[in-house]
Amino acid sequence: MSSSDEEWLRRWREYFLAWYDEGEVEGKAEEAAEFASRYLDGGVVSVSGGKDSMAMLHLIVNRCREDAVLFHWDHGPWLMPREVEREILEGIRRVAPRARLIVREYRFGRCERARSDWGPWYREFFSALRELGFRYHLLGVRADESCRRRARGRVVERRHWTEIHPIYHFTWRDAWAYVFRHNVPVPRVYFEYARLLGWDKVRLVTFFDREFEKYGSPQIDSVLSWRWKAKPS
Amino acid sequence: MTPLEVVFHLRTPVALGFPWIFLDSLLVHIRLKEELGERYYSLSTKVLRGGVPDRVLDMPLRQWHDVPVASVSIFEPQVEHAVFSFFKRGDFPFPRGKISRASGFFKDYYLRAVYAPVQRVRFYCTGEPEEVRRLCMKVPALGKEKNIGFGFVKRVEVREVGEERGLVWNGVAMRPIPVRYLKRWEDAAWMAYKPPYWSKYSVDLCAVPFTRVELA
Repeated sequence: MSSSDEEWLRRWREYFLAWYDEGEVEGKAEEAAEFASRYLDGGVVSVSGGKDSMAMLHLIVNRCREDAVLFHWDHGPWLMPREVEREILEGIRRVAPRARLIVREYRFGRCERARSDWGPWYREFFSALRELGFRYHLLGVRADESCRRRARGRVVERRHWTEIHPIYHFTWRDAWAYVFRHNVPVPRVYFEYARLLGWDKVRLVTFFDREFEKYGSPQIDSVLSWRWKAKPS
Repeated sequence: MTPLEVVFHLRTPVALGFPWIFLDSLLVHIRLKEELGERYYSLSTKVLRGGVPDRVLDMPLRQWHDVPVASVSIFEPQVEHAVFSFFKRGDFPFPRGKISRASGFFKDYYLRAVYAPVQRVRFYCTGEPEEVRRLCMKVPALGKEKNIGFGFVKRVEVREVGEERGLVWNGVAMRPIPVRYLKRWEDAAWMAYKPPYWSKYSVDLCAVPFTRVELA
């Protein structure tokens, strides 16, 4: 990171730390933890490694249960570069050393086709969730993210399980404030993308994934993450 | 073959699909369009050089092994990238009744283009001056999203320079060079190093542009 990048990050860090008090994030975190604790028996915490799921994980293991069950889906090298994946797993283990972590890898993530054909992904992902057999899936979904997510509500009944969204009422500022206040580890690639896209729009999604072509994501990946374009790391 | 400097003076910022633009691919692109005319727009996307005669792809540039001696773009002034977000909505005679704009033929796109607000784009190459000049004069715009006004060229200058700068200059790689042709390199990555740059057959482990290298 260059000195100008560090200065930029320092200024934003200061802003988010101030927002933690001003936005009453502590109160929201307490409420979210209390809400999550109702569903931890027979529930699994799904962690993608993004800022929202990492903030949710941190507040659950620190305020509710240290030995919660965690689920992480590894998209495979063509969709998630190994450097980023390693950082995610290290971050999860650092935040929740006593938790039981279940990691499943997407089989087709090892071939290039995974970037253009996302049909098998959905099939495999949902069959893996079903196979796990948990009653509740705790996800880091926020109402602030999109109208669609807002419309889903905080508790969503699915056919085989129930989706629980503990940090549903967090805004993007709250999520980042929580991350900076508690030093929650997030992949470094976030900061590079945040610098270009803005903190409110930056999201951790699969890289060079044509599923997100309609949002221009692969085009941005081609410029910022060009090293992973031709071949996965 | 003469060492050349090609400078594109721009009217509008340039949108990028990769951190750099390649001069050799630009020249091949113009040549293909000249040769094929309207047929250029209906080429097979799956077949490498599908139906294109080899002479069309012969660049007016010197080749070192199989690497064209042409640098990647040097943007002036050096500025940070920015993002332009825009909607790409179908401009069709929409049928009557209900249609889905979330997927299928009438799908809407919310796109983002990374752009650099630069004034000039400089390239170095070694080639036939007249042919390079002729092809460069035919470039209306550089980079991506030209249809919405990015990268419009104001004028082009092609001049001779005293030394070859298209491959390595002052110990620095000016373009991706496969590491199998190098004795030493500072940084390497898997990337395409010859046209067509979209093809996986052009990908090799290469020295990254603007890092220190030593040719074997």
